[in-house]
Amino acid sequence: MSRNNIKILPGALVCDESKLRGDITIGAGTIIHPCVNINAEAGPIIIGDSCLIEEQVSITHRLPFDQQEKENTPVMIIGSHNVFEVDCTVEAAKIGNSNVFEAKCYVGPRVTVSNGCTIGAGCRLTEEQILKENITVFGADCQMREAIDVPAKQTLQMDTLMKMLPNYHHIKKPNKKTDAFIKQI
Amino acid sequence: MAHICGPEVVKYACHCGLLRSISQLYFCRHCSKVRCSFCVCHEVDSIFCGKCSENIPSAEARVKKNRCSNCLVCPSCQQELWPRVAATKTSANPDEPKQVVKKMHYLLCQFCRWSSRDVGIPDQSSVTGFPDRENVYANRLQEVLDAYKAVVLAQKQAKENEKKKQRKKYLSYTDITGVTAAALRKRIGLPADRTHPLLKNKPKKPDNAVAVEEVDDLPEELFTEPVNLLEVTSVDQRLLYPEAQPVKMDKLFPVHKQLSIKRSLRCRACEHNVSKPEYNPNSVKFKIPLFAYYHIPDIRIVTVEPLRAGQTSELIIKFTNPTQHQTVVSFLEIALDEPEEPEIKEVEETMDSLNIQEKQHASLPSMTSTSQPSSLLSLGSHRQPMITIKPRQIFQTLNSTVEIPTSTFILPPRDDAAEFDDSGDTHNIQDDPKLVKWRKSNKAFIRLSVTPQEGLELKTEIVCGFAMKHLYTNTIFTQQPQKYEHKVKVFLTLGNLVGSE
Repeated sequence: MSRNNIKILPGALVCDESKLRGDITIGAGTIIHPCVNINAEAGPIIIGDSCLIEEQVSITHRLPFDQQEKENTPVMIIGSHNVFEVDCTVEAAKIGNSNVFEAKCYVGPRVTVSNGCTIGAGCRLTEEQILKENITVFGADCQMREAIDVPAKQTLQMDTLMKMLPNYHHIKKPNKKTDAFIKQI
Repeated sequence: MAHICGPEVVKYACHCGLLRSISQLYFCRHCSKVRCSFCVCHEVDSIFCGKCSENIPSAEARVKKNRCSNCLVCPSCQQELWPRVAATKTSANPDEPKQVVKKMHYLLCQFCRWSSRDVGIPDQSSVTGFPDRENVYANRLQEVLDAYKAVVLAQKQAKENEKKKQRKKYLSYTDITGVTAAALRKRIGLPADRTHPLLKNKPKKPDNAVAVEEVDDLPEELFTEPVNLLEVTSVDQRLLYPEAQPVKMDKLFPVHKQLSIKRSLRCRACEHNVSKPEYNPNSVKFKIPLFAYYHIPDIRIVTVEPLRAGQTSELIIKFTNPTQHQTVVSFLEIALDEPEEPEIKEVEETMDSLNIQEKQHASLPSMTSTSQPSSLLSLGSHRQPMITIKPRQIFQTLNSTVEIPTSTFILPPRDDAAEFDDSGDTHNIQDDPKLVKWRKSNKAFIRLSVTPQEGLELKTEIVCGFAMKHLYTNTIFTQQPQKYEHKVKVFLTLGNLVGSE
């Protein structure tokens, strides 16, 4: 994937310094900080609406070795209202809505994240698994528990960032219209 | 501090034969000895809550079972719970359409996102008013506890009576007059039998625990349903609340936070404090910080050449002088097998010299007698070593030899400003260039040669050792600092043996 094909929908805020490689679609209201590394090497990445992707986050679309020789290129889909906190590494191919990836966590490519999950700070999920809804992973040995509710949305924080970030950073302009994007899908 | 001094490859020998890294050792400057945590008395100084930083008297802490009454910890991950505000709209009067926004609180764990709403604890209007779970067996426990207390009291009473009987060797008035105590009491108008007021209202004996013969069968679901690990609690979670030991996740309940203590450490030989914290729970400083790290040169391994059996490798270690006084370091051969008698003598000698000097100080200058006597001096002359701790053998095998250098080297005093001073090292110290490789401010890099023993297997961990003798300047006695030669045995773990070329 040599050619970069970045689609930014109106309302998204993507800092110019962020490193985006490959075929990436960024939904409305999503904030991407500078120093974010998104790498769509195995196929396109689609990021949903109102996601917050913080500094030093690395999102990589990479296939496990045994799945690399399939013909149809898989798509990495990240849902809406997900929060990627500082320095987390996410390679999971399917991520639902309202998940929180806390600081310095690692989610491997064989993991499927459903909705409302929290992956705690520093937790490493490497084995093939499907996280059920509202699962919280925490602690040094990745204990799991089921939360009663989805994690709270970071609306206030995102509103502030929407105002503040353009003052100090160059922003990539949205290059797709919403209608066109919907038609494309 | 462990991460500054770690990994623990350099170990110092305590008097008792234990090997510890310098950060775990204390230095008693009254007996000029290194002390490990086993050679000091641990005393509880103050009890406090680590979350709300409140000092709690020990009697109160005992009543509260060493738990803070305000702070709660998460039953799921044992971290602290924090109250969260949730605004709920409640109408005070159902007829009135106007709704009043009321501040309600619930507890949330920031780490595992457990909340008091998970288990159905209703939101509270005040932050501290969360209900405690009642212990089903509280009454029974109290009964048993009371019974045991009564037993203790009765035993104490019996012992005291026995003592009284032994003491009764003289005649009492009642014996002479023939009036017994009981008769006397009756005459005065008191009840005849006189028992201890605490013994009178004897608590009733608790019912015996009865073993149940018929045990209910295990529920059928246990064998048929698959286990959902998300619903079952872990061992940690169960033991956090030993009274109930909840099995299911939905039975978890916030637990009161256990209190922490500040402890002071006392040298067992001379009963002087080696570590005493400040009373304030917010403070992390010490009133008396006699840590070895502040008094004994710190040794760190800089580089080691690959270690080969029977071949000499160069070892470079760094010495750092932590004190405000210049010191001279020399090396001695380590002797593990000898029973360390000479060292005892040396200790006693230094002790004697210490005492003599103290006595001189106390008697000689008229200043001290006219003005207020220095408390330290008066203490020093009275305090004799309480226990003589016998040195024990060090159990550490050495499989390499260090060539002990004959020359010594000087370590300049620590200067905090030196780091910001670019003027360079201006001290003109004549060093043995074979020994000292390089020096900067209070640090010196020393070159030693190590030879692992012949015939060792590959990947054997190589340990070498030497005794370090350094000049220690003792500043307890303010009139004039005294200098001692302090000896400590040092063991260095150098790494594994590699193949012989």
